[in-house]
Amino acid sequence: MIISKRLHKLIADQEGWTRRMFEEGIKIKKLYGEDNVYDFSLGNPDIEPPEDLQKTLADTLAHPQRGMHRYMTNSGYEDVRREIAEYLHELYGLPFNSSQIFMTTGCAGGLNILLKSILNKGDEVLVPSPFFWEFKNYIENHGGAIKLVRSKEDFQLDIGQIERAITAKTKVVLLNSPNNPTGAVYNEKSLKGLAGLLKQKRREGQEIYIIADDAYRKIVYNGIKLPNLFRLYDLVMAVTSHSKDLALPGERIGYIAISPRIKERDLLVSALMISMRTLGFVNAPALFQRVVGKFQRTSVSIEDYQKKRDALYEILMEAGFECVKPMGAFYMFPKSPIPDELEFIRTLQREERIMVVPGRGFGKKGYFRIAYCVPFEAILKSRDGFIRIGKKFIKR
Amino acid sequence: MGISKSISKSMKDSSWIRAMFEEGEKLKKQLGPENILDFTLGNPVAEPPDKLKEELVHIASSKIKGMHRYMTNSGYEEVRADIAKFYEERSSLPFTKDHIIMTVGAAGGINVALKALLDPGNEVIVPNPFFVEFRFYIENHGGSIRLVDTQEDFHLDIEKIEKAINRKTKAIIINSPHNPTGVVYNEKELKDLAELLRKRREKGQRIFILADEAYRKIIYNGTVLPDLFNIYEDTLVITCHSKDLALPGERIGHIAASPHIKNLRPLLDAMIFANRILGFINAPALMQRLVQKFQRNSVDIMDYQRKRDAIYRILVESGFNVTKPLGAFYIFPESPIPDDIQFVRTLQQHQILAVPGIGFGKPGYFRLAYCVEMDVIERSEKYFKDIIPNIR
Repeated sequence: MIISKRLHKLIADQEGWTRRMFEEGIKIKKLYGEDNVYDFSLGNPDIEPPEDLQKTLADTLAHPQRGMHRYMTNSGYEDVRREIAEYLHELYGLPFNSSQIFMTTGCAGGLNILLKSILNKGDEVLVPSPFFWEFKNYIENHGGAIKLVRSKEDFQLDIGQIERAITAKTKVVLLNSPNNPTGAVYNEKSLKGLAGLLKQKRREGQEIYIIADDAYRKIVYNGIKLPNLFRLYDLVMAVTSHSKDLALPGERIGYIAISPRIKERDLLVSALMISMRTLGFVNAPALFQRVVGKFQRTSVSIEDYQKKRDALYEILMEAGFECVKPMGAFYMFPKSPIPDELEFIRTLQREERIMVVPGRGFGKKGYFRIAYCVPFEAILKSRDGFIRIGKKFIKR
Repeated sequence: MGISKSISKSMKDSSWIRAMFEEGEKLKKQLGPENILDFTLGNPVAEPPDKLKEELVHIASSKIKGMHRYMTNSGYEEVRADIAKFYEERSSLPFTKDHIIMTVGAAGGINVALKALLDPGNEVIVPNPFFVEFRFYIENHGGSIRLVDTQEDFHLDIEKIEKAINRKTKAIIINSPHNPTGVVYNEKELKDLAELLRKRREKGQRIFILADEAYRKIIYNGTVLPDLFNIYEDTLVITCHSKDLALPGERIGHIAASPHIKNLRPLLDAMIFANRILGFINAPALMQRLVQKFQRNSVDIMDYQRKRDAIYRILVESGFNVTKPLGAFYIFPESPIPDDIQFVRTLQQHQILAVPGIGFGKPGYFRLAYCVEMDVIERSEKYFKDIIPNIR
């Protein structure tokens, strides 16, 4: 075979249904026209970056500085890291400084260099499930093993399950809150429970890190606040990007924040430098580093997302679906009315031209994910379809 | 702290680089950075072409809807189509957008290609001296590097390559113009290499050429880079705009896969998949649009050639044994004493910073990156001339 066997297997594992769905989707779009298809399958927000940011970008380029497109140190521009550290200091009340911030090629890039820097072959990473499937690939890229831990019915952490899943090989717990695909925001109580558990392990001589994928951090609803994980536990590294909050996914810009409470953080930074270089990222894109420094306190309109969530949630309730109301991100994860969610969503796609992703793509059969980062009108227009499919499948 | 063992090892192995770097930094502080002649970094002082800067302003203020969103993982179709046209013109082969994958620089591209190709235990041949990052890229994905010494003039030693090939060999990385030597491989040696690889192919073993062409436009005296696509079928060309358009910090490049590759689709799919799961996802969106129209442009090559001529003259007149580079912006002279680390320390005492050959797998040599201001090269003359008479 011409390609790597490992990769071939990975592709084959995922290709079956994704490819089939994708191709059916294209067919349906051709048949009915893009405007008559409701595509809720992609986490690619249909919004533009904030006006101010677009202006700053244009200004930065209109007044070019010498050397602004050159390499810089692998961790990114010092002044940008300082701006971010100041913001995090303010946000978390801990003494962050520029040396604890590492600019990355988006969140996916950040997670890969972190995992490469800390995992040894066979180390286990605990991931609450349902989960963002790419985590598995990221972990396995660097010789680690993913260990899924089922979340509770409401998608909050199940501390008992996590405790039972920890082994001598456990090195990391990887959290994603607000969560893709469920929209759950882990509450203070469950995070405290987790921190307590990990502290206990620490007393027994095992250091377990929390890596927090904070990509959706600013997209939370009803004024709830994310618990301060850096306060609850010391061995925390948070990875975030500006793909969602500043609507810059294509530009690949994010950063890692290393807790000031990690004693050997300088060593970790040296390791990250090597991983950043050798994995081929080298440095986060220069231009967008400069741009995002000033926009740490900014985000796209959260109100708009909340309106979309409310509208969609109402439609699903009216149609009779069972669904946990999401408190963040822009995903909803309802239960499929029939056990085989693949069959359900193919019917949904064929009969109502509504495209969603089956739960098995997130390690949870019997559910499906709706990404509602689409125009508000698309949500309203999909109403009739959801109601009809509800009548067809859901017994009242 | 739980740093991975392999990273700890890399850190230890490269500790001398850090030590040297720190000595250099100390010197800069002591004497003032303007008094230090730093030839260590491949970070060109050149600025992108003015036309490119204007285009960048234009694109950024044009507010194309969705211009900062995700696109398909392989990159914008229209960008890839334009790049394909460039290759079609160059090689007269039927390149289409499907043969092009936009990447996060050449370093990203090489990682993606290796991830797609390698199984644990596979070997990748690299002519030595070599850009040491290749070792990491290969080992990242479970492969092992097989170094093969080049000839005295840094051209390929085909016999040694033949001996190094075995059943586990999956690829050979060709970097021309070359870092650190500045050598440009000629058509004959590449054809000999191709013939050699074809022999294996007839026995059912496919060995890919990964051509790192990051420096392909920085080439002197009208030298023409042989077109590998017309020399060998299983060729992937990987390049970036870090050098030719002076955009290294923006991380933009691409992979071009030969239309001759049999059963190409699974390889393309694997590379696109690798681009995703390695965390690149896609090449930076704005920069993709920017480089679309600049495939035929580059920074001022004559400027680099003048610098090459100046540094080469200085070294020769100073009594160094050195091969004249035909491309890139590196020169790789022999160290006048066998211990290149010791020699680079001596250079430091003369305010000159260089990288010892051991950093490129070749002790007894040192590398100068001459992508610096002309003034730095000129000022180095009296120091270089002073060294050899006083060294022994």
